[in-house]
Amino acid sequence: MTTSRLPQLLWVLMISFLAVSCQDEVTTSHTYRTMMPVYLEMSDVRARTISVEPPQELESPGKIYIYGDYLLINEPTKGIHILDNTNPSNPINKNFIPIEGNVDLAVNSNILYADNYVDLLAFDISNLNNIQLIKRVEDVFTHMYNHATGQVITYKDTVLTSETANWGCPNCEFFAVNSSLSFAANYSAAAQSYGTGGSMARFTLANQHLYAVDESTMRVFDVKSAADPKFIKPIDLGWGIETIFPFQNKLFIGSNRGMHIYDASTPASPTRMAVYEHIVACDPVVVNEDFAFVTLRNGNSCFNNVNQLEVIDIKDPYNPYLKKAYSMLNPHGLGLAGDNLYVAEGAHGLKSFKVTDVMTIDQNQMEFIESMKSVDLIPGPKSLIVIGPDGVCQYDYSTPSKLVKLSCIDVKNPVVVK
Amino acid sequence: MKISFLIVCICVLTIASGYGQEKVYYNQTEFGAMFGQSEDNWNGESEPRTSFSMITFHGVRFAKHHVVGVSVGLDHYPSIDILPFALGWRGFHGPKDKAQLIGGFDIGAGSTVLTEKTETEWGKSWYEGGVMVSPSIGAYFPGKKQKTAFTIILAYKLQEFSLFNGSFDQVNPRPFPSSGLPPGYNSLTETAYSLQSLVLRVGLSF
Repeated sequence: MTTSRLPQLLWVLMISFLAVSCQDEVTTSHTYRTMMPVYLEMSDVRARTISVEPPQELESPGKIYIYGDYLLINEPTKGIHILDNTNPSNPINKNFIPIEGNVDLAVNSNILYADNYVDLLAFDISNLNNIQLIKRVEDVFTHMYNHATGQVITYKDTVLTSETANWGCPNCEFFAVNSSLSFAANYSAAAQSYGTGGSMARFTLANQHLYAVDESTMRVFDVKSAADPKFIKPIDLGWGIETIFPFQNKLFIGSNRGMHIYDASTPASPTRMAVYEHIVACDPVVVNEDFAFVTLRNGNSCFNNVNQLEVIDIKDPYNPYLKKAYSMLNPHGLGLAGDNLYVAEGAHGLKSFKVTDVMTIDQNQMEFIESMKSVDLIPGPKSLIVIGPDGVCQYDYSTPSKLVKLSCIDVKNPVVVK
Repeated sequence: MKISFLIVCICVLTIASGYGQEKVYYNQTEFGAMFGQSEDNWNGESEPRTSFSMITFHGVRFAKHHVVGVSVGLDHYPSIDILPFALGWRGFHGPKDKAQLIGGFDIGAGSTVLTEKTETEWGKSWYEGGVMVSPSIGAYFPGKKQKTAFTIILAYKLQEFSLFNGSFDQVNPRPFPSSGLPPGYNSLTETAYSLQSLVLRVGLSF
């Protein structure tokens, strides 16, 4: 080797060294939404005084309940907003009842029933300026108890960031097997109409009885004396229960595998008439005397990969059968007002149909408002309440074929419609 | 902002006009290869990475030995194509009519505009660009008339970018307030890449 080659050799060595030292770095972070278990002692929860608070902004509204001139809107796990809806064009937020763990409500003769983790509460709301807790029925929603510790277990919707591949959550397996019990499930169920079932109660009133369903059980309360609800008994329903819809003397219970029909002519002890199990329905059922209407859609946890409206003949409640199915775009919630059916089509808008002849629903579309993105709707006595990205909006539907917007209540975290 | 940029341009051109004999506009366009070591794979080993790189620098000579300007280019990494764009400086050392030492520094960002977003019913994945820093050193060989020159450059290049894989929230349509999760997503995985390369480029300058 000659000395004249030394600089070239040094260059080659230096470049090689630099190239080898140029090591790529890759870091991965996972940000994910999960349910963190929260353990509570019910004695602590019960010890806290519930005092009515001034109106609060709606964050993520859950169940909406219409009672007279009032709208009662659940804020999942936090409490209930009360709005004066005397004029649907200008609803006024009146006050907020903070109730921990609350996801559902019902009102009977000025008595508001609301769940408070494992307890059922009854409030006298006859005077909105002086709302009083008048009764607590303890330990009725017992599925929330962790039997090993005797504590109440609930789940907090949480966003975590982790750099580990297993997403770093200490209770991953637990979450995985209990995902249907998760707060997300409750939350969506509380938001009415989409997602998998809720582990907490879903309420409905019929024949002086309050029916509360959770994932697998219906709990019956006698509310003949409205201010003094009495727990009668639990009725096992099977898994995947989501919604309950009373009609005449029947209860239509939507599960994610089908629709149960219960005879409630003996209100204290409903008995199963039939289970229509050919559908995978994540959305509520609406019913008239002869037919049940159910929407199925893809893009949710049901994985059924169909988008359709099904009409089920229930003239013989012991033998329901599919009458006809109509192709839809991405149907979410639906509502029936007389012969008019309104279907929230998610990002596609809102459709209305005449359902006088269930065999020709597709030919009797009244309106298709593509600008009205929506996930759920409630036909009320004063207005059609539509839940969508704009918040909680009300429409005049006195002319069923022509919806007229009245108002929208702003929501901090409006639903995302894809 | 626009006004201050204009003022800077005027100042630079005014100073540059002081070097009336020098050409104000300066261009340097080069092609070459990037060398690095890819990220560790599952067994902890890394592999050599070689890829194509080009850059074109356009600047103004604001002092006898100094040029500032902007650069754009194309970096073809094995996993992704990136368009780097940067503010840059070039400095020269040595007699004008002979081979000179040329130094440079570029700082800017790499764009992933050439990549495609993929979206399905269940989720979406996309790239986002990041910081690019590249100091360089090399030789500048002027032509006979000194109007053009041949350059050979050795540079270090740091390029950051991220790959995002998000899965849509199928259950809960409400966004989680004030979190790092975009509305509508149930989870988001960010893979942040920091690619370090040694770049060897040759090109022309005029």
